[in-house]
Amino acid sequence: MISTSSTSANTQSPGLKTYFKTPEGRYKLHYEKTHPSGLLHYAHGKTVTQVSLANLKDKPAPSTPTAPTSGFSAGSGVRSAAARLLGGSNGSRALSFVGGNGGSKSISSSSRIGSLGASSSSNSMINTNFDGKGTYLIFNVGDAIFISDLNSQDKDPIKSIHFSNSNPVCHAFDQDAKDGHDLLIGLSSGDGVIILNIQDTLRKYLDRGHTVVDRCMSIAWVPGGDGAFVVAHADGNLYVYEKNKDGAGDSSFPVIKDQTQFSVAHARYSKSNPIARWHICQGSINGIAFSTDGVYLATVGRDGYLRVFDYLKEQLICGGKSYYGALLCCAWSMDAKYILTGGEDDLVQVWSMEDRKVVAWGEGHNSWVSGVAFDSYWSSPNSDGTGESVVYRFGSVGQDTQLLLWDLETDEIVVPLRRYPPGGSPTFSTGSQSSHWDSVIPVGTLQPAPSMRDVPKLSPVVAHRVHTEPLSGLVFTQESVLTVCREGHIKIWMRPGASESQSGNSETILSASLKEKPLFSSKIGSSAYRQ
Amino acid sequence: MNNTEQVGLVFFVCRPARVSTLAVRDTRHEVLTVMGAAGSKLEKALGDQFPEGERYFGLENFGNTCYCNSVLQALYFCVPFREQLLEYYANGKNIGDAEENLLTCLADLFTQISSQKKKTGVIAPKRFVQRLKKQNELFRSYMHQDAHEFLNFLLNELVDILEKEAQAVKSDPETSSPPEKTANGPKHAQANGISKEPLVTWVHKNFQGILTNETRCLQCETVTARDETFFDLSLDIEQNSSITSCLKNFSSTETLNAEDKFFCDKCCSLQEAQKRMKIKKPPHILVIHLKRFKYIEQLGRYKKLSYRVVFPLELKLSNTVEDADIEYSLFAVVVHVGSGPNHGHYVSLVKSHNHWLFFDDENVEMIDESAVQTFFGSAQEYSSNTDHGYILFYESIGASNNKS
Repeated sequence: MISTSSTSANTQSPGLKTYFKTPEGRYKLHYEKTHPSGLLHYAHGKTVTQVSLANLKDKPAPSTPTAPTSGFSAGSGVRSAAARLLGGSNGSRALSFVGGNGGSKSISSSSRIGSLGASSSSNSMINTNFDGKGTYLIFNVGDAIFISDLNSQDKDPIKSIHFSNSNPVCHAFDQDAKDGHDLLIGLSSGDGVIILNIQDTLRKYLDRGHTVVDRCMSIAWVPGGDGAFVVAHADGNLYVYEKNKDGAGDSSFPVIKDQTQFSVAHARYSKSNPIARWHICQGSINGIAFSTDGVYLATVGRDGYLRVFDYLKEQLICGGKSYYGALLCCAWSMDAKYILTGGEDDLVQVWSMEDRKVVAWGEGHNSWVSGVAFDSYWSSPNSDGTGESVVYRFGSVGQDTQLLLWDLETDEIVVPLRRYPPGGSPTFSTGSQSSHWDSVIPVGTLQPAPSMRDVPKLSPVVAHRVHTEPLSGLVFTQESVLTVCREGHIKIWMRPGASESQSGNSETILSASLKEKPLFSSKIGSSAYRQ
Repeated sequence: MNNTEQVGLVFFVCRPARVSTLAVRDTRHEVLTVMGAAGSKLEKALGDQFPEGERYFGLENFGNTCYCNSVLQALYFCVPFREQLLEYYANGKNIGDAEENLLTCLADLFTQISSQKKKTGVIAPKRFVQRLKKQNELFRSYMHQDAHEFLNFLLNELVDILEKEAQAVKSDPETSSPPEKTANGPKHAQANGISKEPLVTWVHKNFQGILTNETRCLQCETVTARDETFFDLSLDIEQNSSITSCLKNFSSTETLNAEDKFFCDKCCSLQEAQKRMKIKKPPHILVIHLKRFKYIEQLGRYKKLSYRVVFPLELKLSNTVEDADIEYSLFAVVVHVGSGPNHGHYVSLVKSHNHWLFFDDENVEMIDESAVQTFFGSAQEYSSNTDHGYILFYESIGASNNKS
């Protein structure tokens, strides 16, 4: 049929630049982090790499990494499960984990440890002394969790923790924990949750008890929740745990009557985990995010809806649907006024908590948007503090291998004249008649997908191809932007002017074949959607 | 045609030799009951969720006929198409003199699947395949065939047959019980070779969309718009892109210049022009063909592009002229398995009653919805993953359903 131009030439010899330009200056590739290639496992590729940051300020909890093999078991009754921490002589450790019914599956740890010990890269892991101070990257690849020192040149991680029978798929680090540096790890099997001290001592294994759960999708500490955390699953449920409570009590929850309706059930006995189940949606919950104050919890899922809950009141506040397809990720602005979502419609959506609806669509990705984040360290170079406008900088990464940076100027958002009215039911609305813009969207309603012409559009400030593989996430730090691809490669991009002396990288352009387009049109278009 | 003459069960131990067409003329599609074991596994997996009245039958491979099987399964689970085909067949049965053609063979096959007593099993689409090979020498060899070419040929053939039937009815009004329902559209058949309004058959109603090809002469600024119909959209693909992005490229503006200038009627000369494709009328069933087989001039041969192209389970066409927000839902994927264009295998993924099924010739398995994403392609050129989505079938959902 009709041909369009193909850029196959680009993909044959991917030319990736080691810097990208923005209005405020150049971002330069500083370090790359990856997993030891020798440790590739059959499970590689089946899980998507996520990255968490851990800032260790003080000395970690007094647990010695050289501790001999320690046993740990949790659970009772039919679904007893056990997790053992096995000390390896070379400093690497493999965490064997057996889930399922009665621990009947045999542990395959011995062979795993063998292969780890034999790998050539294991030596480099113990060369760096993990002294517990500094900033560390935690990322999952295949059947392992890796920990890398953010500020070291070493490409290889300093520590790896391997799992048997189940892959780690999501993790979260508790920056504020008083009693140690706790890392939560959610597993692909859904069998409970592991809490590790970052020194890789197993602190606790929280069994799912009698609760039958699906694969873990996302995990988060409740900000200021004193050890409470939530785990979102592929079956549309979110479970609430408290780290100081024991797992595997008699936590059982009633059968969900209507899969399409939001419901919260509390455990009958408050002594055991999980303490509550939120049934959020039909199909998978793909991402969750707490507002920094812990008041709101945002979820995105397979059904394409963003939902914002008042976490303590356990109430749906607002939300709405993607243009089409599932939503994959979400993130809050520091002031909890805006939420970003990204998904299978290739769009980055900006939601306003004040308006309780979508206020802008970011167009620029050529594939699904897999990670979004506000840059809380960024301040507009022109901001003099007198203007009315507030500028937010945010970033997005996609399966198109691109990192996009965006500016959101709040006074630039011109509200469309026409939009869809609020729907009737709190979890599903089908309204389609036009109504006036000024009408307030009632609390607890979900908006249907807006029409393409009704939503203001944003263009990226910069679009840069950062990896050869589809991306899975990004993190902003004080000095840099981190991008991570699905296969577990991480790149650290230094901000303009940030620690120039450290930047030992020559700005070699590997190949000039890549189209590099700094886009300076950062204003929100205001003509496309008027009738 | 009420062909009840059933030949006894035939078990194909190996690929049958080319049978003379005479010998198979009255052979119905055999049911291979010997392969019931796989079926019962699927029944067990579905349990009491087995949809009522639904049949999940594998199709026997007669030697490189997987291109055919994979497309047939996708069409069978295209419910409006299946229903209308079965209806056509039921109404047409009374016309005794109907000659065998691809349409009757397909209808016969679908009727046979849907009327099976067992819920699962294997059927040999022997008569259909024989007819196909008789009809088109392209498909006669035992070579690896292109599933998209087959789908295209089949749909056009069905339309031809329906149009001829409608014409025959028109020219011979005394035919007993004219198949009114065979052509649901306005009956403006071609008269004396002068084409009036084209006949709209139920095949058109399901699959046909209209594209507008707009060309703007850069000299005189005149816009020439030409409409063309399509049964599927063939999209160029790029590494690490999405169907949304491929569709955007499809409708993006293209400049015609150098050796590819446009003949402007107003300027009466070749001019530079800008061309773009817009979807004027989106089809009810949107079939998207990914151009994974690309002719590489330097190599002098076709090459398979294993690019990772993600396709969402729900899709909207935003590059349309009107009705911009029609939503589609993915219900079938024909998958090409293999690293090259001249060999390999075809399988299909089908969504039926909210379950995803995997059809690989005789075998039918249930798969999780999340497994669909393992057929997107590879982000790197040399990958062990060779199962790539090749033809996508989306059905429009929501208000503007033109189900007849």
